[in-house]
Amino acid sequence: MSFYYYTPSTPRPVKGGIRSQSGRGREKSWWAERWMAVLDGFGMGARLDRGRSYARRGQVVSVDVGRGAVTAKVQGSRRQPYLVSIGVRQLSPSEWERLAAELVGRPAMAAELLAGRMPKNIEELFASAGLSLFPGRSGDMNTVCNCPDWANPCKHIAAVYILLGEEFDRDPFVIFKMRGSGRDGILEMAGLHLEPGGEKAMPAEPPQPLPADPAEFWGGAGSGAPEAAGTAEVPAMAAALPKRLGGFPFWRGGEDFMSAMEGAYQAASPAGMGAFLGEDSDEGSARDDSDKGKKDR
Amino acid sequence: MIILHAGEFEGGLAVWGEESVDDSPAPRIKTAVRRPSAHPFGAARRLAAALEEMVPEFAAADRAHEVAVWMPTVAAGPIPSSGIISEPPPAGAKARVAPWTVTAYWLYHDEAVDLLCHAMGRRTVAAGVMVGEDLTYWADAVRLAGSLVARQQFLPDMVSEAGSYWAVWTPVLEGDDAERFGRMAGRMPAAARALSKVGSSQPKRPATGVLRTIVSGMVDQLVRAATHRSATSGDLRREEFDSAHDRWLHALRYTDGGMGRHGADTTQMAAHVREWRRPVAASAEAPFRLCFRLEEPAMPDDSTEVSIADGRNPQWYVRYMVQPRADPSLMVHADLAWKDGAEAEALARHGRNIREFLLASLGQAAGICPGIAAGLEGGGLAGHAADTAGAHRFLTEEAAALKQAGHAVLLPAWWTGSRSKLTARAKVRASRADGLGVLTMDTILGFDWEVALGDQTMTVEELEELARLKQPLVSVRGQWLALDAEGIRSAIKYIKKGTRNATFLDVLRMRAGAAEAPPGLEFDGVEAAGPLEDLLGQLDGSVKMQDAEPPEGFAGSLRPYQLRGYSWLAFLQKWGLGGCLADDMGLGKTIQALAAVQSRWAGGDRRPTLVVCPTSVISNWRREAARFSPDLPVMVHHGPGRLKGEEFGRAAAGCAITITSYGLAHRDEFLADTQWGGVVLDEAQNVKNPQTKQARAVRSLHAESRVALTGTPVENSVGDLWSIMEFLNPGLLGNREEFRRNFLLPIQAHQDAEAADRLRRATGPFVLRRLKTDHSIISDLPEKMEMNVFCSLTREQATLYASVLRDTEESLAAADGMQRRGLILATLSKLKQVCNHPAHFLGEPSGAAGRSGKMDRLAEMLEEIISVGDQALVFTQFVQMGHMLKRHIQETFGREALFFHGGLSQGQRDRVIQQFQEGMAPVLILSLKAGGTGLNITAASHVFHFDRWWNPAVENQATDRAFRIGQTRNVQVYKFICSGTLEERIGEMIERKKDMAEQAVGSGEGWLTELSNDELRDVLALSAEAAG
Repeated sequence: MSFYYYTPSTPRPVKGGIRSQSGRGREKSWWAERWMAVLDGFGMGARLDRGRSYARRGQVVSVDVGRGAVTAKVQGSRRQPYLVSIGVRQLSPSEWERLAAELVGRPAMAAELLAGRMPKNIEELFASAGLSLFPGRSGDMNTVCNCPDWANPCKHIAAVYILLGEEFDRDPFVIFKMRGSGRDGILEMAGLHLEPGGEKAMPAEPPQPLPADPAEFWGGAGSGAPEAAGTAEVPAMAAALPKRLGGFPFWRGGEDFMSAMEGAYQAASPAGMGAFLGEDSDEGSARDDSDKGKKDR
Repeated sequence: MIILHAGEFEGGLAVWGEESVDDSPAPRIKTAVRRPSAHPFGAARRLAAALEEMVPEFAAADRAHEVAVWMPTVAAGPIPSSGIISEPPPAGAKARVAPWTVTAYWLYHDEAVDLLCHAMGRRTVAAGVMVGEDLTYWADAVRLAGSLVARQQFLPDMVSEAGSYWAVWTPVLEGDDAERFGRMAGRMPAAARALSKVGSSQPKRPATGVLRTIVSGMVDQLVRAATHRSATSGDLRREEFDSAHDRWLHALRYTDGGMGRHGADTTQMAAHVREWRRPVAASAEAPFRLCFRLEEPAMPDDSTEVSIADGRNPQWYVRYMVQPRADPSLMVHADLAWKDGAEAEALARHGRNIREFLLASLGQAAGICPGIAAGLEGGGLAGHAADTAGAHRFLTEEAAALKQAGHAVLLPAWWTGSRSKLTARAKVRASRADGLGVLTMDTILGFDWEVALGDQTMTVEELEELARLKQPLVSVRGQWLALDAEGIRSAIKYIKKGTRNATFLDVLRMRAGAAEAPPGLEFDGVEAAGPLEDLLGQLDGSVKMQDAEPPEGFAGSLRPYQLRGYSWLAFLQKWGLGGCLADDMGLGKTIQALAAVQSRWAGGDRRPTLVVCPTSVISNWRREAARFSPDLPVMVHHGPGRLKGEEFGRAAAGCAITITSYGLAHRDEFLADTQWGGVVLDEAQNVKNPQTKQARAVRSLHAESRVALTGTPVENSVGDLWSIMEFLNPGLLGNREEFRRNFLLPIQAHQDAEAADRLRRATGPFVLRRLKTDHSIISDLPEKMEMNVFCSLTREQATLYASVLRDTEESLAAADGMQRRGLILATLSKLKQVCNHPAHFLGEPSGAAGRSGKMDRLAEMLEEIISVGDQALVFTQFVQMGHMLKRHIQETFGREALFFHGGLSQGQRDRVIQQFQEGMAPVLILSLKAGGTGLNITAASHVFHFDRWWNPAVENQATDRAFRIGQTRNVQVYKFICSGTLEERIGEMIERKKDMAEQAVGSGEGWLTELSNDELRDVLALSAEAAG
């Protein structure tokens, strides 16, 4: 068989690969459509469809987003996964400054970005700074894959594009990271984040020596106050906190992450209520007939 | 007696105990060389037994650790947590913190949760096992963890420890939770963080860190156990995973969260988890929170009519504000917080990144509330406008979601209150025009719904008009009202349906607010007319109840408040309703109940009444019945010779009153075969746990009316109330599940004041409680009230009593002179000991419950006294009995009982009296002889004479100690007497010969030796009634 002769090959099945979450009964966001339009503009044709099916089947084993470059491993028909890298031009300091200046004038957009949602007019932001968010054609990106396919971008690169789009939607700052600046960097430039140096470590609490005064040591003041533990109510919507955070980055589990969370949170609430009220897990049996052992004669 | 303690140790809780000196072997204090000395009061053996009893499947073998506890120490050794353990050092003693080795059990989090749930709200968890303050504190921590889990304030996480990754659920402390956590850490007893490994240095970890460790561990445990239970069994034993993600998800829901050693895979996974959680971590740590305030449209002053009809759509406004968590009183409008200025500067003192916070949280809130998103688009940070529909959506949906996301929300008072909603009121018609006839709980009554908006009654036409407007909020005379479309629809439906039927029970439930209103409507009570309105009004106190005449043939005289109580009972009895008379101890609940029984009997109703009471008061009931209702035939159903089955039924039918015990109420099932006219439960707190056998048994008795008597304030405990109410008025509060849903959870878990109020209204008509201290109600109480309390002998006591008598009779016949006198005095003493407690007579160091009628009765009465915060003196003439009482009281109530006796030094005596006067201990036991004069004890309002000194002068002097100058409260004096024994008969003799008692008997009991042999035999004999 000639090396250059194209045969549709079947990729080796992968366990625990990253699975594209779109098309799984989720409603299609505006961003997903826009991203597809961008990819369509790259002129990959059928390779884009094959890439999408790779992404859905979890053929992408890993994706790592770095500054100016994305590296990924995609399992094809060979034993070793193919190595994919996508290089993007990083913005220059003056370009970043223009972008930050535009952002600070648009609090609504900044708010959406900070809340982890992709603002609908994100492209405007780049355009008004004289930049473009998306490359006009695939040639603007420096894509490499070590598969034998002569076409570039190949279906493996296409699969990584699909997953990247989902990741941008999950956390829009990933786009900024690819272009060379992390979340805190751009916020600092926009004057929103005043304490440089990323997350500050919690100041260590000072040690608290034990008191020698018996009353203070053994306690007894104020404990058992009924309001001490507050209230407990099972919320109407399960798993509000994970939902607030949204999907998990590059989820590779066989089970859908959010439905697993919902199940866990729903099961947990009644158990928490039981502990709050001090009910024994097997209620009643332990406290039955605590009649101080009285006997009738 | 042991006291349980718990401290944080290696990420979990370790439980250890102190054991009281009288129980433990003599303390051996070795000087510390390299390792700390063993704690002299360590309670290893009993601790293991207690844990095995309380923690399911706990096996103490191989679980014991040696742990150092760093505690305040004086030269004599560690300072105990309570005087129950050993005598504390004198007040001025200089203490230092030093380590002591104890045996401790390190508990897994699930075991700790079980133990602490068991200890919640208790002072003792078993007889002789007391809960220390530190353990109580950890029980509060479980409540905090439970609250976080119930409200789903937690997130999955991945932590690295000792080269491995672990999947855990961690609590998220936002807003109020963070403040609550801080307060809780602030009141942690130092004992809760005083544990270290033997040989290491003093633990100094701050309370916040210790509390975070334990609460996190418990949250993880609660969620893990719940998800583990709900997982499918096939899922549980997995070893192979396709990805780190699968492994994580599995480990989160498995008993052990281990994810194996560090690897490239898991390390990247951990970074992703951190990244995913970051927004919540950031907002939980933010020093600010957002606050949303809904502002009403400015209305023209002249709007006097419903303004919905004019077609205007008023503008509402949701204003955004920023609040520093540390100073919630500072509220800055968000637009000002954004700009440079004084307001922004004030905020900057609390945290720097105010703009980032503002944008990030507004962005987050915009995902919940679309109005915010639209507002941000317009560039406005001040707030957003909303039309009426939008305002309604904000009130009904978005506000709650914003709150759940950790923001504060301020809503108009008319929304949070209940005055301005569509309300439904039931108008009941009597079943017959001429009155009510015989009314039972099942009587069918007709009623119509009447619907009002605010205080205006609405017709169907008006309601239909409102429905057509399709406006959820309307302003009527400048007052905003919420209209729920479903409410209007159901109101129209309910009015159109016309008259409906309900049982009298349903009407009572509606009146009390315990029934459910039509969907979408607030419930606004029940209105009736004529005799039914009188009845309902008298029940809820809106119509004054007339005092009844004391019943014919009743031999007692009722004080005014007793007459009121009796009238109330008779009123309920007439209508077949059940009532709980919960007067303070000593106010005469028995006499009021007897009067009610007598009134039915006198009225010609000859159906029998069953009295169920603790064994120890059976003879008291019989005596009181004979005294106050001498005409009524009374049967005691107790003891081995009691009647059974049909024979019992026939005998009971011929009696007015049958008295039996709680134990027999469930053992003798045939009691449920008799149709009782009434059932009276004395000490009704015995059935507060609805699942106990006796509670189930008394609920199964058939009776027309029911009475519960108790002196413990049952109405204060929501959980206990259902069982007693279900006995009194079955169905009134719904079944147990309904009760839990409608009352228990809202009141205890949500702190819903409205539900608490509803419960009070529902039960209020059926609970009558008068306090001795309420002089506006009880003005006629004498300052000192004395009463005899008759107790039964147990069978063991009766047997011992008889054998002492047998021995005496033989030797008495042969003795004379001094020998005879000595023999008589010795016999008297022995018999008194038998009456006190078999262990007292046999010389055993301690006596279990259930062996002495007196001791059980004392414990029952003290339970009431302690539960209302009163204090009591207990006199005994025997030092050994005093020690036994002290121990029994401490083991039963987990409170120190003080003992004043001749063996104390002057300093100890002073301290005992001072501690009692300061309220440190609820009970002071005094040996009758030791007190002497000069004692001034004014804190007690109850005085018990546990045994008798056959000399009124001595007894009175003792009583008067509680009655000195400075004593302003009423004092109740209870003289314990074993009925059918010498105690009763000598008492009668003294009563008969009052003169002799006061003049001739001198100061001792010697006068008894002057009696003839025959007289003596009569006095000492044991009569058949002695054993109840």
